[in-house]
Amino acid sequence: MKFIRVNMNNKSIRIEDVPQQYLGLGGRGLTSVMINLEVPPTCDPLGPENKLIIAPGSLSGTPLVNTSRISIGAKSPLTGGIKESNAGGTVSDALGRLGVTAIIVEGKAPEGDLSLLRIDVNGNATLSSVADFKGMRTYTLTEKLLKQYGEKNAVLCIGPAGEKQLSSASIQSSDVDGHPCRAAGRGGLGAVMGAKGLKAVVVEHGGKTADPIADPEAFKEAAKAVVKAVREHPMSGQMMPALGTAGLVAPVNSMGAFPSYNARKGVLEGWEKISGEAMAEMITKRGGNPSHMGCSQCIVHCSNVFVDAAGKYVTSSLEYETIWSMGGMTGVADLDIIARLDFLCDDIGVDTMNTGVAIAIAMDAGYRNFGDGQAVIEMVEEIAKDTELGRIIGSGPTAAGKYFKNARIPAVKNQGVAAYDPRAMLGNGVTFATCPMGADHTAGNLVGEYLVGALDPLNPEGQVETSRNLQIGVAAVDSTGMCFMAAAALADGEGGAAFLKTINAKFGIQLQPADVGALGIRVLTAEREFNKKAGFTEKDDRLPRFYYEEPLPPHNKVFAISDQELDSTLGVLGI
Amino acid sequence: MKVRVKLYGTLGKHVPGYEISNGIEVEIPDGGKVKDILSVLHMPESQGVVVVIGGSIMTPDYTLHDGASVSLLQPLSGG
Repeated sequence: MKFIRVNMNNKSIRIEDVPQQYLGLGGRGLTSVMINLEVPPTCDPLGPENKLIIAPGSLSGTPLVNTSRISIGAKSPLTGGIKESNAGGTVSDALGRLGVTAIIVEGKAPEGDLSLLRIDVNGNATLSSVADFKGMRTYTLTEKLLKQYGEKNAVLCIGPAGEKQLSSASIQSSDVDGHPCRAAGRGGLGAVMGAKGLKAVVVEHGGKTADPIADPEAFKEAAKAVVKAVREHPMSGQMMPALGTAGLVAPVNSMGAFPSYNARKGVLEGWEKISGEAMAEMITKRGGNPSHMGCSQCIVHCSNVFVDAAGKYVTSSLEYETIWSMGGMTGVADLDIIARLDFLCDDIGVDTMNTGVAIAIAMDAGYRNFGDGQAVIEMVEEIAKDTELGRIIGSGPTAAGKYFKNARIPAVKNQGVAAYDPRAMLGNGVTFATCPMGADHTAGNLVGEYLVGALDPLNPEGQVETSRNLQIGVAAVDSTGMCFMAAAALADGEGGAAFLKTINAKFGIQLQPADVGALGIRVLTAEREFNKKAGFTEKDDRLPRFYYEEPLPPHNKVFAISDQELDSTLGVLGI
Repeated sequence: MKVRVKLYGTLGKHVPGYEISNGIEVEIPDGGKVKDILSVLHMPESQGVVVVIGGSIMTPDYTLHDGASVSLLQPLSGG
């Protein structure tokens, strides 16, 4: 239980015990509570007062499966509010095994200064100058770092977009194969890291100083039950290994909710060519891997290794949201082009979702035709070239809308929406509008509720309550490091009971199910408090006007949740 | 009557020789219902099959018409 505080003003590093007020917190819970307490809400997100907090989940580094999500938090340069973005890979497990509760990067290096933070297997942290890496893309950078420090290291890094402090810049995380293909993409956290002058964090695997587990025997038993639940659940045990999150392309298009052509239609023409089913078949025929283990301790294997027709690596972990943003929004029904775009975004270090939405806005304004894949590739490459257009695209949907004079900007709090149109899945619109992070695909996604028939996606009844409950639940799970793909098997029943037992055994406590909700509310409260202090009001919890005015084919519905109902989503909790 | 069925997710595995590009034509009695398709194709209940017609999720008792296009999907959560 230790913090590594890194001050970029004077390049000092301080190791400190975790203060009482943060004990027991991990992941998003820790980043959000800490930002609310320590970051001035009205500060410049790219200035010295902001803090970049890198926090493993509270269960990361334990033997429990699928607990390798790393949460990264700061005040967002994209939204101007609080931000947590989490990613898979191997760094969370590596930090957890060193007993590191968080790395907190403070201050700001002099202009042009670039550093690397290295944490070795004994937990020793050092900063070094890496001027030679200036402008380097993430794949080359990660390869060099793993060659220099050894393959048994995890890398978090930024690409050229982060160095340029663009609002869509991501922080890339290396997977088990050493590819920087997992992204903390949302909210422009790569720009915060770039502003601090930090190019990469390299953490050695194999640490033996993980925080002790209070009741190891109980933990072991509960962890076994978690494994059983994850393996037996149809989603985590069958669908995810077979198709990954790309399995959502078929259901969401079938339900007319796949925002296409800058959210002008709810079905993409030719979507079957970019479905999870088509991708798995293509990858298998070409000799790639459609069921890849991307993260430490993963037993779900939702990742993939996408190869070209010659069997050569293109990208890894090509996921639903990227297939949508780079395919659906741009009208490009071509997996080879989408895979190339996924690689480019990872390599340059930008969020695939924000970038795809920004490009779609440009296309919608007539800059290029929908469906022109080559044009999309060129627009992404412009980001790395640091041209005027590249800086616009790399700054996200609102910047693109202003530049191209297109008022149809599918974003909330400046963050591009996700792959579920609010007019055809009303509850997802509620989450997009009210989530403190801006429009978000993980914070309270109702698609699973629609597919099991628990809720009618077109009927306003029950949407607000369900969004609220999911937002609370996800805020709690995001604090543990548990992956969402496995968490679906742990929401209730025997899996849920076993998951709770692992938490209790780790910390020697006796949480009840209701306490999990209390943790989620605590996290959301901190986030809402911060945003209010930063100047956010109810008006920021709204969808863009066109969702209320333009019916979406094929259902031809508009968004039909009132402002009062939106305000009650989290407001009813008194936060 | 005949309906055109497409299987998504891992459901195709339960129908020998199924190819996603073609789908499958299923014959059911006139006035047949969604549940008749599930029965003819031996869809396992454990998969919680989701049936979508015309963009909407249909219940097992929904009555089909000749030539209907039916999608059978599996539930999953987003992320």
